Amino acid sequence: MKREHQEAAGGGDRRGGEGNWYVAAEQEKGKALMGTDDGVDELLAALGYKVRSSDMADVAQKLEQLEMAMGSSAAANDDALLAHLAFDTVHYNPSDLSNWVDNILSELNAPPPLPQPPPPPPPDDPLSLQFDLPPAVTEQYTIGTVDLPDGSPCKPADVDELQPEASTASSGWLISQSGHQPEVAMSLRDRKRLKVCSSPPSSTITADAATAAAAQQVVIVDSQEAGIRLVHALMACAEAVQKENLKAAGAIVKQISVLAASQGGAMRKVAGYFAEALARRIYRPQPPRGMGCSSTVESAALDDMLHHHFYESCPYLKFAHFTANQAILEAFAGFRRVHVVDFGMRQGLQWPALLQALALRQGGPPSFRLTGIGPPQPDNSDALQEVGWKLAQLAKTIRVDFRYRGFVAASLADLDPYMLLGPEADGGGVEDDEPEVVAVNSILELHRLLARPGALEKVLGTIRAVRPVIVTVVEQEANHNGRAFLDRFTEALHYYSTMFDSLEGGASPPAAVEVGGHDQAMAEIYLGRQIYNVVACEGAERTERHETLPQWRARMSRAGFDSVPIGSNAFKQASMLLALFSGGEGYRVEENDGCLTLGWHTRPLIATSAWRAAGDPLSTSASCRTASS
Amino acid sequence: MAPPADDVRGLFRQELRIQLLERRPKGKEAACFASLCFPNSISDSCRYCSVSAHDGGKQRGERQRVEGMDVPSPSSPWIWDKILEFVEFLRCPVLPVLAMLRFGCVASDLGGFILISMVVPLHTWVLISNFKLAYNMVRRPDGTFDRHLAEFLDRKVPANASPVNGVVSFDILINRASNLLARIYRPAPPNSSHPATPLAGLHHPPSPDQFPVIIFYHGGSFAHSSSNTAIYDSLCRRFVSLCGAVVISVDYRRSPEYRYPCAYDDGWEALKWASTEPWLHSGKDSKLRVFLCGDSSGGNIAHHVAVRAAESGIDVSGNILLNPMFGGNRRTDSEVRLDGKYFVTIQDRDWYWKAYLPEGADRDHPACNPFGPNGGTLKELPFTRSLVIVAGLDLVQDWQLAYVEGLKKAGKDVKLVYREQATIGFYLLPNTDHFYEVMEEIKNFVSSNL
Repeated sequence: MKREHQEAAGGGDRRGGEGNWYVAAEQEKGKALMGTDDGVDELLAALGYKVRSSDMADVAQKLEQLEMAMGSSAAANDDALLAHLAFDTVHYNPSDLSNWVDNILSELNAPPPLPQPPPPPPPDDPLSLQFDLPPAVTEQYTIGTVDLPDGSPCKPADVDELQPEASTASSGWLISQSGHQPEVAMSLRDRKRLKVCSSPPSSTITADAATAAAAQQVVIVDSQEAGIRLVHALMACAEAVQKENLKAAGAIVKQISVLAASQGGAMRKVAGYFAEALARRIYRPQPPRGMGCSSTVESAALDDMLHHHFYESCPYLKFAHFTANQAILEAFAGFRRVHVVDFGMRQGLQWPALLQALALRQGGPPSFRLTGIGPPQPDNSDALQEVGWKLAQLAKTIRVDFRYRGFVAASLADLDPYMLLGPEADGGGVEDDEPEVVAVNSILELHRLLARPGALEKVLGTIRAVRPVIVTVVEQEANHNGRAFLDRFTEALHYYSTMFDSLEGGASPPAAVEVGGHDQAMAEIYLGRQIYNVVACEGAERTERHETLPQWRARMSRAGFDSVPIGSNAFKQASMLLALFSGGEGYRVEENDGCLTLGWHTRPLIATSAWRAAGDPLSTSASCRTASS
Repeated sequence: MAPPADDVRGLFRQELRIQLLERRPKGKEAACFASLCFPNSISDSCRYCSVSAHDGGKQRGERQRVEGMDVPSPSSPWIWDKILEFVEFLRCPVLPVLAMLRFGCVASDLGGFILISMVVPLHTWVLISNFKLAYNMVRRPDGTFDRHLAEFLDRKVPANASPVNGVVSFDILINRASNLLARIYRPAPPNSSHPATPLAGLHHPPSPDQFPVIIFYHGGSFAHSSSNTAIYDSLCRRFVSLCGAVVISVDYRRSPEYRYPCAYDDGWEALKWASTEPWLHSGKDSKLRVFLCGDSSGGNIAHHVAVRAAESGIDVSGNILLNPMFGGNRRTDSEVRLDGKYFVTIQDRDWYWKAYLPEGADRDHPACNPFGPNGGTLKELPFTRSLVIVAGLDLVQDWQLAYVEGLKKAGKDVKLVYREQATIGFYLLPNTDHFYEVMEEIKNFVSSNL
């Protein structure tokens, strides 16, 4: 057979029956020749590139064309081509060599870029942290982080003082007050609220095979012997718990606190949280509700407060908002009526930046509708509405036509498509010759649904039904939903050690130290509650069911979603954003097969992915528009 | 009278494109097309129709005879005459004709099949061309570098403490102050079969007997890649299996942000770190048996770290330099002859040196040209033995050969492995004889100098 031929040719006698490294390599080689089931070439796959064997010819040919084009432009001493590819071209998913090369080639074949005047720089804007962006390429929007006008998240805004305040507060912003102010579309009368109660899930089974032989990512930041012993003690304790040897576990957990005391910094804190969670599990097998196991009504406000400190003290949530916004903005390009459904509104920290980017959009801002979803508040206060008012105030100042609705729902699974879209979306009105396009945004929300069988499937069905042009999903990059307790525990230990280490190492710049210290302590409590949930809770109470990108990819694709790659533009800007955190030392943004991750050193900790319904004509046309704009 | 080679090439390529368009080959055939129709994509065998120039004595004889007649070099008109003959003879069945399109290829009839001899296999060609394209985009003519785009395009893999083919890896901050990171690869500890306890045993020696520690400096011309880049992750894993070694891949600072001597400082830091880790010491004498290894710029770093080790009395068991990056002011024959031919140009070499060397320094700086006019001598130093791998189609080869000469002149022990038909990056993919034979050399070098 030909294959034998090949191996004989490659090998020869001298290698017969040698060390297993050679055998492994030979097998590799054999596999590459055969190709895998899906036709992806294995030799290149092992090096991070996905090319179908059948596309190899095509890829090679295109690479050659590119090389020739570059060679000739280099010969002509003309850097315009290279500069165009490096600066003006947004690259998507370089793992997918075939598409990547196609993309570059299409840039080459496009008419040469005209020198364009830079867009008017945003005026001296007190609300935004300015990044050192290159004089921008016109089609690419940039999003900074923008704080709400008064900077504090929960202060109620009074309706009466809203109007006059707005005009004075806006003096430094980008528009002067002319007579022609668009109406803020939201009014008290119009606003709809819906309280939905949790209902038992309709379907019962989720076949949740822990997909993906997930990689065990270990970053050792403190290699001291005592630290290692501490980790071993924690794991021994978890192992005892798994074997239901609570007596032994109880004995070890006491040692842990002694060992932890000898440690400094992040390790001591992390060990403390884990030991506490273990102790709770050992001594109280059935913890009462509300002890942090689930975000019950009592803890929702506290959650929000801690969440805000987490937002302030480290770049993870900013990265999440930023990258999701960038993907939404690109998907909205060219549309005049846009609608974002936010699965976790909280204090709306994500939206000022998007509003501002929309305001600066070429051709003027679109009409923007926001639907914010949040849990019921303990005191029945209307936190969602308050956030909406603030956003409306901002929107008015920067002249974006804005409408807002808040939905209170105990679980996302309680939502139905008609609630999200409302009557306007179907184009009932006269002014709707332009269709409304929808984006669905979920930041650290979807994993909670895994606690209730069928809930995620239902929500994904709801998402499909609203036909979004883009679905942005941010999730913790970890597998804390493995079947065995010990696996979850170990993964969580690595994950949160790294997380705490980043809080420590990436502490705020000196100017903000007093505030920063407080934020960091609260952020640690925020993470501590997650640790508690992963370690001490079980069943429906265990809601911090983080899963990895490969697992989410599998889920999303089963539910009929295609990945939308996030491009180099978002990557670049996210990397710049990081420079604000201890000069970016330690934090790393990485591209992972079309998704972006942010991690500490080499351990990715949070991941943004974007999706669209497979084969949805509207979505497809939207993506074409984006690509061609 | 044969038309000038370039015209013939042009004609064939045109023909080829037509064929590709009309026939739309799929699968293996398509790949075969590709493996045949790209310049520089020349290897010992066509990977897709699995024919090789090495099968059996007859073919070997054929090849030698051909080589005896004429060197099938890219510019040789001979090969194009030969191709024309074949085209006439075969009336253009696509595959064989394409086979002939390779310059430098050697062909003979094997029962209706054409034997192909190409230097660069398709996979390698695609991989390295892709790097070349990406590198061209991130390297700016003014000497600055688009780090964001470079990082976006770089394919990375996370460390994995669960054994894969018996190898585990983890990342470790070996110096908190300078934020120096390294990825450690090692044979899986015996108790790591339980996936939940990956840390157990990571810091125990992998073997009670003596074992080698390889400090690896990745390549990338001082500017590209890092210790988690997929190609180097894969290579380091191979070294573990190959030598039963613990491999420490150093995430050194890169130019142009960090110039000379940052990369050497970090490389040196890693060696000092290894010398203080008890679990890396082995054998009855509890000794660190360390090899310094690197490709391209990494090879250069390995040399300079070895010099510091010799000066400071740290014992290094050996140096393994794969296509090490050296240079100098003058232009050598190989630089002129191979400029732009096999992925690399003189222009880009110059760019990287300018980005790495101190501001204002020229390429006779000792970092670049260690045995040049400004270089020191190693005569007095207990400099370790070296294994130097040189690829015959790498334009830097003259400098690499000069380096080997320099070591010899200083009375140092050096073994040169010269692979005439190899290009840069051949050690990244297990698809040539060069790969297997060089791996074998490395294995023997390590085991005999342990």
